Amino acid sequence: MSVLGFSEARHLVSRTGFSTEWNEVNRASKLSSDQVINSLLQQNNRRTPAVPTLSSWARTKGLANNPARRKMVKRTARQEGQRLQTWWIKHLLTTRTPFLEHMTLFWHNHFPSSISKTKQAHFLYQQNTLFRQQALGNFGVLLRAVAKDPAMLLYLDGYSNTKEKPNENFSHEILELFTLGRGHYTQSDIQNAARAFTGWTINSQGKFTMDTTQHDTGVKTFLGQKGRFNGDDIINILLKHPRTAETIAEKMWLEFINTTQPNKSTIKQWAGVFRNSNYSIKQLLRAVLTSKAFWSQHNRGALIKSPIHLAVGTLRTLPYKLPRQGIEHHLNILGQGVFQHPSVNGWAGGKNWITTQSILLRASLLNNISGARLNPYGDIARQLPKASGERLQQWLLATKPLNSIDLTQEKQRLVHQLILDPAYQVY
Amino acid sequence: MNRRHFLKYSSLISTVGALPQIAFGAGKNQRQNKVLVLVELKGGNDGFNSLVPYDDPLYYDYRGALALPKRNLIQLEKGRGLAPSLKAIAPLWNAGEMAWIEGVGYPQGILSHFRSLNIWETASNANQVLHNGWLSKVLPQYKKGLHGIALNTGEIRLGPLDSTNLNSVTMRNPYSFLKQSQYIADIPLSRQTSAIKHLTDKQHQLHDLGRQIKERMGKTASGSPYASRFTKGKLAHSLTSVTDMILSGVDAPVYKVTQSGFDTHANQLDAQNNALFQLAHGLNTFASIMKQNNRWNDVLVVTYSEFGRRVKVNKSGGTDHGTASAQMVLGGNVRGGIYGKHPNFNNLDANENVHHTTDFRSVYGSIAQQWWRQSNPWKPYGTLPFLK
Repeated sequence: MSVLGFSEARHLVSRTGFSTEWNEVNRASKLSSDQVINSLLQQNNRRTPAVPTLSSWARTKGLANNPARRKMVKRTARQEGQRLQTWWIKHLLTTRTPFLEHMTLFWHNHFPSSISKTKQAHFLYQQNTLFRQQALGNFGVLLRAVAKDPAMLLYLDGYSNTKEKPNENFSHEILELFTLGRGHYTQSDIQNAARAFTGWTINSQGKFTMDTTQHDTGVKTFLGQKGRFNGDDIINILLKHPRTAETIAEKMWLEFINTTQPNKSTIKQWAGVFRNSNYSIKQLLRAVLTSKAFWSQHNRGALIKSPIHLAVGTLRTLPYKLPRQGIEHHLNILGQGVFQHPSVNGWAGGKNWITTQSILLRASLLNNISGARLNPYGDIARQLPKASGERLQQWLLATKPLNSIDLTQEKQRLVHQLILDPAYQVY
Repeated sequence: MNRRHFLKYSSLISTVGALPQIAFGAGKNQRQNKVLVLVELKGGNDGFNSLVPYDDPLYYDYRGALALPKRNLIQLEKGRGLAPSLKAIAPLWNAGEMAWIEGVGYPQGILSHFRSLNIWETASNANQVLHNGWLSKVLPQYKKGLHGIALNTGEIRLGPLDSTNLNSVTMRNPYSFLKQSQYIADIPLSRQTSAIKHLTDKQHQLHDLGRQIKERMGKTASGSPYASRFTKGKLAHSLTSVTDMILSGVDAPVYKVTQSGFDTHANQLDAQNNALFQLAHGLNTFASIMKQNNRWNDVLVVTYSEFGRRVKVNKSGGTDHGTASAQMVLGGNVRGGIYGKHPNFNNLDANENVHHTTDFRSVYGSIAQQWWRQSNPWKPYGTLPFLK
């Protein structure tokens, strides 16, 4: 079996993780693509940095029910949301299993639940653990768990979905965003699904519970089927629908291949693999990472780095020091605060990351990270790989630089110029 | 095309190599002067205490201690008076250059700041999430190049100018923008991948905006000649920048500025007075400078706010999130008067909020059709005759 070599290894490492760590690229370059992909798919590190202190559900509820202290809910949520951001960013910066974290982030964005709405950081932590657990696991299991996840029950109002007052928020989004996609259901499907999910709520211990007194036991008509459905039945029907696998396959294309609309036949094929494996995320990812499209030269430099890819990736790849105030603030300003999605649609991603405004902010972020104030002259050069200027360019950029860059100049300055080249924004 | 333009044009071709049509200032023959200044009243402005319906007895019943006495109001017409804190702009009413639109909102008003602002800025329905600002449906047809500048006061948001098909940018002021953008090099456009094409297009636009500001504002680049005319404060600072850019010929058809301090859940009188005072002084200074420079006829100032306030005063001497509100329009080409319809205080919804009488998209449609002479993307909502 032939080995990958530097540039193909670089491609695989950069697309699956957040960056192109020199040692990782060099290690992978001596292996075959199957060997590297196998080991990526086996990443299974559940250990994270120490979890910050977060209020229990009982405390949040206690505050919310006390008119004199109600304002504390918001303040506490804001503080704990920041702690949670710091916690995850620290993990993203240091983890030895970046592919697992990349996929955790992928599900975090497929199933958003922001702190601003939920105001319960502990639930968000639990949800994050769920995403990490199923990141390379099973989508059916994940979807069922998300539907009963306390953070999601708060975020999309399932918590207050009762037979007298059905709330359609969760039903709407599970159809539009989590499974079928727009155009494959009707308003009546949403209403009937909402009835089926009535009574799914959170008990005083902060766990999912089915409140039978609030459940609508009547007959529902959903996607052409009729029955006394409950929420589990609705999810079963959705998992049998061919669109569910296609929706996820389409997202995989945008995540791993290209910002342009996916090729229909590729999506059909990947969706087939996904359904036939009973929604094994590993099997779907194997299909993606071994596809022709993934390795095609046309798709190099075809993805735009998210703010996390840009900031976390740079700090993982190069020996720059982490700014003292961290990077969470930068990520919030750039629109990718974790646990802080702008809406249930999640981060739109792709080309949306680049606007005339964000170009300035992204450049100033990179200037900040790589600035001489934090990184005294000489320090960086000493820690950089001993390699030619040409190799450093191949290492840091997925495509040729757009500026003309003198590859023979001093290394610290060269690296600085390479990361400020627009080609560094793509991968 | 005069010689200076020609030189600029040809130097662009030689450095960029291709595609001059996306460059700023390239659409030479369609010099578009009509400027819209959007003023976001952040937090949800209480329209009933801005344009006061003093002839509605229920106003005094509902508002109690918060009601503004008739004798203190600046009398306009049709039983409406201006809050005393807006006194500074009263001369514009007398000149026939001020219009108010009453009852502006949308069906099933949302009471969340974030969501409702998003609805206003994308012209969506209450139950619909759109991603592109409403101006994206009008400006690309109106002109090429630069579409808008949002002056920010810390929070970086393009709001109604946020869209992939708009060339818009936010900045604190043009001077700091120039400093930041000097590090942005012009780069060759590349079509290697769709992502790279997008990236190089945007960076090129940014570079050209920096160059345009530098060229046109060269003389004032060290500071504004108008700064001393304005009072202190964030809105005044933003309006100084807008003044400088308009008068130096920066060709943005839209500027967005923000006055905050309208989320008046408690002790509303002082808080709203202060915010409206800043607004009135800032806009009056802006209007008089535009008049002195013969640009007031090219400028339209329109306020918007995510929602209005509850009709009834709350227990803390404030008002909670509401629905419809009154919006103000100023400009040399404005047909002064009061438009829309005062909401019926006798008919409140389940949250004790008024029902809107005038859809906010009829304001947008009027601007599209009567200000920029473009087709109206919001035809079903009709238009209002507040422009000459």
